[in-house]
Amino acid sequence: MSELPNEKIDAVIVGSGAAGSHFAARLAQAGKRVAILEAGPARPKDELVSSMLWARRLKGGGAPVLETGKGTVGNGFNAGRGVGGSTMHHYAVWPRLHENDFRVKSLYGRSRDWPIAYADLQPYYDRVQEECGISGDHLAETTRPPGSPYPMPPVPVSVQGRVVAQGFAAMGMKVSPIPLAVNSRSYKGRPSCLWDGWCDAGCPIGALANAQTIHLPQAEAAGATIHPDTEVVRVLTSADGKRVTGVEAMTKDGRRVRVMADVVVVAAFTIQSPRLLLASATPQHPEGLANSSGNLGRFVTTHGAAPIFGLHPKVTTPAFGAFGGQLLNQEHYDDKNAHASSGAFGSYQWMIANALKPNGLLGIAPTRPDLRGPALTKFMEQASEHMITMTGVTEDEALAENRITLSPRKDALGVPLASVDYTPAKASMALWDAAIAEGLEVFRAAGTSEAWNAPRAPMHIMGGTVMGTSATDSVTNSYGQTHDLPNLFVGGAGLFPTSGGVNPTFTVHALAARSSEYLVKNWDSVIG
Amino acid sequence: MPKPESAKPTRREILKAGGLGLLTVTLGGQWVHLSPAEAQAAGAPLAVFTPEEAATLAALGERLVPGSWKAGVLPFVDYQLAAAPEDCMLMIQYLGVDPPFTPFYRTGLGALDAAAQARHQSPFAKLEDAPAEELIAAMAEGKLENWAGPPSPFFYFVLRNDACDVMYGTEKGFAALGVHYAAHIRPPSEWGEIS
Repeated sequence: MSELPNEKIDAVIVGSGAAGSHFAARLAQAGKRVAILEAGPARPKDELVSSMLWARRLKGGGAPVLETGKGTVGNGFNAGRGVGGSTMHHYAVWPRLHENDFRVKSLYGRSRDWPIAYADLQPYYDRVQEECGISGDHLAETTRPPGSPYPMPPVPVSVQGRVVAQGFAAMGMKVSPIPLAVNSRSYKGRPSCLWDGWCDAGCPIGALANAQTIHLPQAEAAGATIHPDTEVVRVLTSADGKRVTGVEAMTKDGRRVRVMADVVVVAAFTIQSPRLLLASATPQHPEGLANSSGNLGRFVTTHGAAPIFGLHPKVTTPAFGAFGGQLLNQEHYDDKNAHASSGAFGSYQWMIANALKPNGLLGIAPTRPDLRGPALTKFMEQASEHMITMTGVTEDEALAENRITLSPRKDALGVPLASVDYTPAKASMALWDAAIAEGLEVFRAAGTSEAWNAPRAPMHIMGGTVMGTSATDSVTNSYGQTHDLPNLFVGGAGLFPTSGGVNPTFTVHALAARSSEYLVKNWDSVIG
Repeated sequence: MPKPESAKPTRREILKAGGLGLLTVTLGGQWVHLSPAEAQAAGAPLAVFTPEEAATLAALGERLVPGSWKAGVLPFVDYQLAAAPEDCMLMIQYLGVDPPFTPFYRTGLGALDAAAQARHQSPFAKLEDAPAEELIAAMAEGKLENWAGPPSPFFYFVLRNDACDVMYGTEKGFAALGVHYAAHIRPPSEWGEIS
């Protein structure tokens, strides 16, 4: 492990996930001296044991996140702990946001607008796609916004995928290959996936695009240093409060250290990033750094997961394939009022035929919590051969009152815990209901003997450090540069003003690509 | 079979063994690594649970998931609770419960036993099938009167998943279901022999 830098460096990055690793690679390749501080431990690839139990070590951890609303955002399940952050357990479903996702307020009078349009992000989606590799079929995926063809052919479709596709077809709906940042053939020196369904436990062979596969090696090759077990507890500012000057961190052996830098990038995931900024308050920034708008911590969203399950007469071998799925349906995506008659608002998509292992929160056993004893044994035997599944990703209306604040409780390092007050909007709940009804209908049409669903669960966490055009109502500009402190940047899905109904990681990368390019080009003016 | 070790293991070895789902215990004055099932058979000492709690947990696990007692649900949960929270592999660690997790289990098991005593003047572990199932059903539905533990349907969910983890989450468990494990990196042995 590298020693922490003693002298002032160009950029210190808080967090080693999708955004942090991307920033680190681009800045280091531009010749900047970069250090990444990661609160969690190192995650050597040879410790990514194929097991749904081992998989849990990649998640959550760290200081607890308190929840006080009627809903939850599920930080323990969604966050990542360790080098690579949550990308180490992400399933690499990489669809793009759609054009209407960027203009929800303008088009529908709800949620917020992004400060950029799809066209602004398209070149970065294309660039990231080429760099990381996506398997898919841009022509068959007729709902995809404009962009380059996917660089790899689609992922294979098993019996499970085929029977669900028949259900969609019977209802007059189309499916396409799902866009996955998982190699369907060898790509840029990384091997093809073996489709053994262990994505949740981390991918030790490098077939799945994550921080350890793509950007952390680039960053290190360009001279950046990565420091695991180093938890940032405060972002430091100059005496006049006009600039950030570095960070204070605790090492695993209990040393309180400072890393000084011209630029600070906070990319510590959706909950911890605003927590850190709130906890870094100074007399000049009494409500926390980058919070002159009062919106730091606000507009937290989470996709309502809509999992559908069924038992099918055919042998579906559900343990195999990709965890993220094989096929995609975005039938109603572009009309956020498609289910308005039931009070629903928003877009959703189906990720179809996810790999299902026998145990684990996303495995077979918990889908029927009512079964126990001999009935459970019988179900497990049947389901491990005949189960099918798909998961809806449903949009969440962005509400100011869904917010992250600091709790009076503190962690072991003396930093106040994050408290999340989240209650999903009625329109978001109604959208989830509509998706569930449609999903069950699809599964019945597919010929299942039984079809059922799981309760609404929080999948992905977004918002809290939202970008916007105005310093009066957003935390950063479209580059993730905070309005209040020009050399303080934020990365990650916390920047999203609205959630859309697609998985966030591809967009996190596209934003990080755009932000880091801006930062390199405008370095002198940014550091002042 | 348990693998005797000649010297007291280092903390790293213990962590590594724990990470492999193994227990590091002292049996007859020797440090050994056991899989949960082996620990169960050997009657290995427990780090966390009292004998009463252990009996309740083992009985509940077996009633929820047949075979889980033999597969080692008791030593598995006991060992994971004794580990540092960041090394814990129990599902509860990402279900929004603050660590440490032992009070969650302790109060839940105590509440279940108290309910068995109140209804049947018997520990839960000694109940016959019908009253045990009746209690479990009431627990799962949140209908046990005077329940003084974590929300009982949630406790049911967590314990059921722990038992499923031990029963179905291993190479042996997959094989029993006819599912090819197909590991990239195997969890050594049933849970693991240190090689």
